[in-house]
Amino acid sequence: MSAGVRGRRQWPLPRLADPTAPLLEVEDLSVRFRMREGSVKAVDGVSFRLDDGEALGIAGESGCGKTTTALSLVRLLPPNGRIRSGSVKLFGIDLVPKTEKQLGRYRWREIAIVFQGAMNALNPVQRIGDQIGEPIEVRLGQPREAARKRAGELLDLVGIPKQRASAYPHELSGGMRQRAMIAMALACDPAIVIGDEPTTALDVMVQAQILQLLERLRRELGLSLMLITHDLSVIAETCDKVLVMYAGKVAEEGPVNRVFTAPRHPYTKKLLSAFPNIHADRRTLDVIPGSLPDLRNPPPGCRFAPRCPAAMAVCREVVPPEVRFADGVRVACHLYPTPDATPNLDLALAGQVPALDGEVAR
Amino acid sequence: MSLQATELTVEPPAAPTRRTRDALGRYLSRTDGVIGLAVLVLFGILALIPTLLVGPLQNVTTATGTPLQPPSLAFPFGTDELGRDLLNLTVHGARISMTIGLMATLITVFLGAMMGIVSGFAGGVLDAFLMRVSDFFLVLPTVVLALILAPVLLDLIGPDAELFGIRSTLIVVVVVIGLTSWATTARIIRSQVLSIKERMFVDRARVVGSGSGWIMRRHILPNVVNLIVAQAVLTFAAAVFTETTLAFIGLGDPSAPSWGQILNAAQSAGAPGLGAWWYIVPPAACVVLVVLAFTLVGNALDEVLNPKAGGRR
Repeated sequence: MSAGVRGRRQWPLPRLADPTAPLLEVEDLSVRFRMREGSVKAVDGVSFRLDDGEALGIAGESGCGKTTTALSLVRLLPPNGRIRSGSVKLFGIDLVPKTEKQLGRYRWREIAIVFQGAMNALNPVQRIGDQIGEPIEVRLGQPREAARKRAGELLDLVGIPKQRASAYPHELSGGMRQRAMIAMALACDPAIVIGDEPTTALDVMVQAQILQLLERLRRELGLSLMLITHDLSVIAETCDKVLVMYAGKVAEEGPVNRVFTAPRHPYTKKLLSAFPNIHADRRTLDVIPGSLPDLRNPPPGCRFAPRCPAAMAVCREVVPPEVRFADGVRVACHLYPTPDATPNLDLALAGQVPALDGEVAR
Repeated sequence: MSLQATELTVEPPAAPTRRTRDALGRYLSRTDGVIGLAVLVLFGILALIPTLLVGPLQNVTTATGTPLQPPSLAFPFGTDELGRDLLNLTVHGARISMTIGLMATLITVFLGAMMGIVSGFAGGVLDAFLMRVSDFFLVLPTVVLALILAPVLLDLIGPDAELFGIRSTLIVVVVVIGLTSWATTARIIRSQVLSIKERMFVDRARVVGSGSGWIMRRHILPNVVNLIVAQAVLTFAAAVFTETTLAFIGLGDPSAPSWGQILNAAQSAGAPGLGAWWYIVPPAACVVLVVLAFTLVGNALDEVLNPKAGGRR
């Protein structure tokens, strides 16, 4: 599978690529933002893996480090952001120690981004064909005519008639603009496409079309996707794996069907019950009381402890280790000290953490 | 539509031509643009071949009329105090006034746009430095600068030297107008660039891999083109006026009559007091017409070049 997908590439792999290495392996990634009031630990010890042709969803509320995690892969952070530690291995090549110039080989050519809000990400006075061709000109050094031609093909690929290449962004609908952004992301035939809230500003019908398009492209081009969203239904629909983040740390990670049907971490449960469920009775949605902790001085133990209904004494003092279960789910919570331990429900506040299995399917 | 598509793919160079034709068509469908262009073309012809139209420039020895004759069939614009045909002088004046206006506009807009874009986009120390420089030129009074620069420049290039067929005294005028007006343009464009460079598509261009030069050329410049066109029109108008002013106070080239020069002569001959309105009206009307024509063209160009304003497809 992995060789097959990489065999479809138009452009050769980077010279140092290890053909047997996983596509993307992120280990213990930490990102800090230096602010006047101190340094913010936006991402703290995040690890995950993305294989060829896989779709990974990153979920969590606003400000929990989803976008920062994704952007730090190719170091597209704002100037005050720094990767403090960890490694980002693409084809087995660690990108963290690379210089800015060396990283240029990977930005957009290996990891491309579909931005949120296509209207703002497009230049209003430049024709979309030229904008889609821009990465081909600047990254691959192709002449303008070749870039124009390729832009036409890319537009076709995302379902926009070629002739629309000469249209200006304001002449396209919201869905078409988002398609154009996807075409731009595909310009250099990247291995990974990061979708940063790609469907947020769109209505439900168009949202579904965009997701179908991404799904089709993933199948046809052998892309790997990273979808950043706070819309859990988007992840349920398109992704194989989900990474639930809270305050810069991984709360729970695993196959979508396992995590969504049997959430283990109290935060995942709360997040799922804060989402409308077609099978549930008509009821007011659950909310998670409180807000994200101040990431300049995060709580000493589990970062979710102050808002957690099942918080125990140990949660406020010790950072929970990540535990991997047999079904591939990884959880960082003191309710699960070891993979085989059943959670000690007596310690949890009775009734506030309902039965662990089938909570969403209720 | 499908025909156009084949044209696009089979023959890529066809695309820009079609686009250009498109823009030209939209320009020609605007009445104001056509009128403005027609007036400019007319004055352009006057400036190019004045000798063919009204004969060689008259001076005291070749004057064909008697002093201060009112308009008649022989002299439609009347004559000046030396008996020179005012039609002859006004038509010959077009060349000087138009050339000075165009050159001063080119200098101003080129310098101003470049300084404004670089300064606004780069920010930091370079921005601060360039803006202090522009402050310096902003406070320079045009007339005083001309008084100081005229002898210096004349000394440097020699009083009889010619550049593109323009005598050195006129170059002084062009340089002075350019030096004193680029700073305003730079300021205006910089302020727009400051707002544009914070837009998300600039970040996107950077992420996609574009360098600063590329972004300034391909993303910032097209977004300020409408400002540049508007500034060019205003500058041309201002340049013609400034030239008129400088000539009026005697800083022009007496042997090459511009419209300002004629007005100056009219004033020193006491034309207003003598009721010789025909001495003042032709050059003044020319200044007004050319400035108006440029404004019309500028407006039309702005509408055509701005994809959002012209979007009726």
